[in-house]
Amino acid sequence: MGARVKLPEPDQSIILRRDKIVSALRALVPGGVVADKAGLAAFDGDALTAYRQSALACVLPNTKAQVCAVLRFAAEEGIAIVPRGAGTSLSGGALPLADGILLGLGRMNRILDIDYDNRCVVTEPGATNLSITRAVEARGFYYAPDPSSQIACTIGGNVAENSGGIHCLKYGLTTHNLMGVELVLPGGDCVTLGGKAPGANGLDLLGVVAGSEGLLGVVVEATLRILPKPPVTRTLLAAFNSVPAAGQCVADIIAAGIIPAAMEFMDRNCISAVEDYCSPGYPRDAEGVLIIEADGVAAEVADAVTRIREIAGHAGASDVREAQDEPERARLWAGRKAAFSAMGRLAPDMLCMDGTIPRYALPRVLARMAEMSKEYGLGFCNVFHAGDGNLHPLIIFDVMKEGELVRAEAFGAAILELCVEVGGVLTGEHGVGVEKRDLMPTMFSGVDLAQQQRLKCAFDHAGLFNPGKVFPTLSACVELGHMHVKGGRMPFSNLPRF
Amino acid sequence: MTNIFASHEAEVIEAVRAARENHRTLEIVGAGTKRNYGRASHCDDVLDVSGLRGIVNYEPEELILTVLPGTPISEITALLESKNQRLGFDPADWGPLFGAKANAATIGGVLSSDASGSAAVRYGRSRDSLLGFRAVNGAAEGYKAGGRVVKNVTGFDLPKLMCGAMGTLGVLTEVTLRVFPKPFCSAALIMRDIASAEGLALLRRIWSSPLEATGLSYIPASVAFPELGNIGEGAALIRLEGAVEPLREKVEAALMLLGNRAEQINDETIFAKIGDGAAFEGSDWDVWRVFVLPSEAQKAIARIQSPLWLADWAGGLLWIGVLPGNDGMLLRESTEPTGGHAALLRTSDETRSRVAVFLPEPPVRAALTKSTKAAFDPLGLFNPGRMWDGV
Repeated sequence: MGARVKLPEPDQSIILRRDKIVSALRALVPGGVVADKAGLAAFDGDALTAYRQSALACVLPNTKAQVCAVLRFAAEEGIAIVPRGAGTSLSGGALPLADGILLGLGRMNRILDIDYDNRCVVTEPGATNLSITRAVEARGFYYAPDPSSQIACTIGGNVAENSGGIHCLKYGLTTHNLMGVELVLPGGDCVTLGGKAPGANGLDLLGVVAGSEGLLGVVVEATLRILPKPPVTRTLLAAFNSVPAAGQCVADIIAAGIIPAAMEFMDRNCISAVEDYCSPGYPRDAEGVLIIEADGVAAEVADAVTRIREIAGHAGASDVREAQDEPERARLWAGRKAAFSAMGRLAPDMLCMDGTIPRYALPRVLARMAEMSKEYGLGFCNVFHAGDGNLHPLIIFDVMKEGELVRAEAFGAAILELCVEVGGVLTGEHGVGVEKRDLMPTMFSGVDLAQQQRLKCAFDHAGLFNPGKVFPTLSACVELGHMHVKGGRMPFSNLPRF
Repeated sequence: MTNIFASHEAEVIEAVRAARENHRTLEIVGAGTKRNYGRASHCDDVLDVSGLRGIVNYEPEELILTVLPGTPISEITALLESKNQRLGFDPADWGPLFGAKANAATIGGVLSSDASGSAAVRYGRSRDSLLGFRAVNGAAEGYKAGGRVVKNVTGFDLPKLMCGAMGTLGVLTEVTLRVFPKPFCSAALIMRDIASAEGLALLRRIWSSPLEATGLSYIPASVAFPELGNIGEGAALIRLEGAVEPLREKVEAALMLLGNRAEQINDETIFAKIGDGAAFEGSDWDVWRVFVLPSEAQKAIARIQSPLWLADWAGGLLWIGVLPGNDGMLLRESTEPTGGHAALLRTSDETRSRVAVFLPEPPVRAALTKSTKAAFDPLGLFNPGRMWDGV
């Protein structure tokens, strides 16, 4: 397939034992093991489509007890585990391993408890993101994180990736809306972190589980904060004749102390692709548009809209219009949400990047990306969460054309390196996974990475959880100098350590 | 015991290296206002990091602030104020509660003890504002984690872990915080002479409304603040924020929800006093912070029967005073089986060496905590035993 990032060498002794392993798994999860070639092909990757790999076996448990049993078995046999929700990861977080069990949590999709009094929902990990809002909206509540894939992506995957979305500028990422999890650790023990009560008892381990990309354990239950739905939402579309002017408008709005519910940017290439695809009514002659949304009580939104209009005017917007009714508002958003699909029609393949930069660096980074596009000879468009500087450049290419995949990946890597150079980060919401794994050293030193890996060792001493993801080197925990604490005891706890 | 003073990361690294070599444990101290919070930890030496002080980088238009951890909160607040910004989590000043100076607490200490005040109910606790840090681990290595932007999922979110860790995982040497624009105006509403059951239920009603209140507290008659005047059986307090017109709309909506029984007061400093634990300053009682499900707050209060208590965070946080030396068992039994957890904030040295300051963890969780501690501080150099035995 020509892809750059190498996965760990499969352990042939495990592959040779495959039949035995599959029958053991069938005994643990009756009716929930996929082991035939065609069946496994359905699970051979996620939304990072350039990477495909068939798993040793795929297990689809129905209960917590089954998850624990599978993990206990895997630990005893020394088999790696790759957890998977709906497989919508854009960074390859759910990419299987040839010698690993793919643990699909999609069947555990029940919402267990809706507690309006304490403003939370307790759910199994396979429930979709959107199903949480659907379950509580009749009572005027919603679940705030809203990744574009929310119709399909699962809560377990959202926790693993610390997913964001369009509205996280005001309402935060998954981690800010996650109150607790039940986590099954490598080895099959279950631990509760957080819960319906606020605050953390002891170390905030919940905080590191969010965004841990399936490296620390498997979430089998999550407690989520729900929010009262704002009574008024108004949406503006501002058009600009220059991209830097749009960037300036974003910076000025934030600097004025306004935190819009959402602030999204699309460039000319994207506008034209989206207009061809679903005609949301964006001005085709603009160099860029911003969709800006304000929500809250009526007077608050009116105040924000007035000030945003003024600021956009000062920044040089050629036109600012407001969605007049709900259908028009939905249409404006439909265009933004269809950006990936629309771009997908322009070329057979697409890479979606995800760096975050300080907002002041927007004009510089946007200009440099346009130059890079010429240097690499590949088309791209810019669509991003402007309010928090989270860029999603979409690089279009054709994998069948000699060298284009390699060039596309090099172009993507160059963009992310640029993000880090201006003080930003490699990934704002998609995760490191396989895709950005080898770029980690551009942002972190060896010491920084070793510290993170030692935390991994604290949860997964044998290194069985999602190996080959996030960290560019597979280091054994002993090499990292991590001491294994078993049953609450430090090693040689009877020896004086000084 | 030696007092080691460090004013640069290099000096911290040197101090930790020496501690490793000489087998000495270190108590990490900033302004020293909260040294008596946590289990009694008998360290060989003191590592004073109050010299790591100063603003590294403030970008108001990016809503980002990087400071050295020994910087006093008062200095940070004043700087942010000059640009009409603030910290979202309402950092609390627990100095006077511990008999130390007011306005001395440092950002490093506030983060390490997660001293979050009333507005945390809207903006999250300190962990939700710390974006990145530099620190020195138990191997005497300086490292960084997190980043300088709000939206970041690159690597593990270690900043969350450092908040509330009581300095047991390492020595912070630089912190980057998310800051928030300050609203144009704010208003405090008081509803007087209301029993706790009804008062707490009303706070939850406001909390479940879209008014985005930044203070939701209840004070019983027994701990009346003189500046509030006569509060009868007790008072529910609500803080709302916004520009002039929006605020007026929010106040009207809140008054409706409260059955028009509330009134506006001019003094909002009450919320800072609640977060600071000012109600407990003059007494010698032990002070617990008890985290409960908001819906369970009333039941807990009714069982515990302490005259000295108050509620914050819509009932999710109860401040409860108990007689000095009390083991807190009644308080624990009244809150922990329903998913709550209690932390003993202020007590005597004798009590904190005898009573579990934090809720003891079940075995699997306790093993994970110890493993995590070992991942950062394998030799147990930093504040050993401050949380639990060995942590």
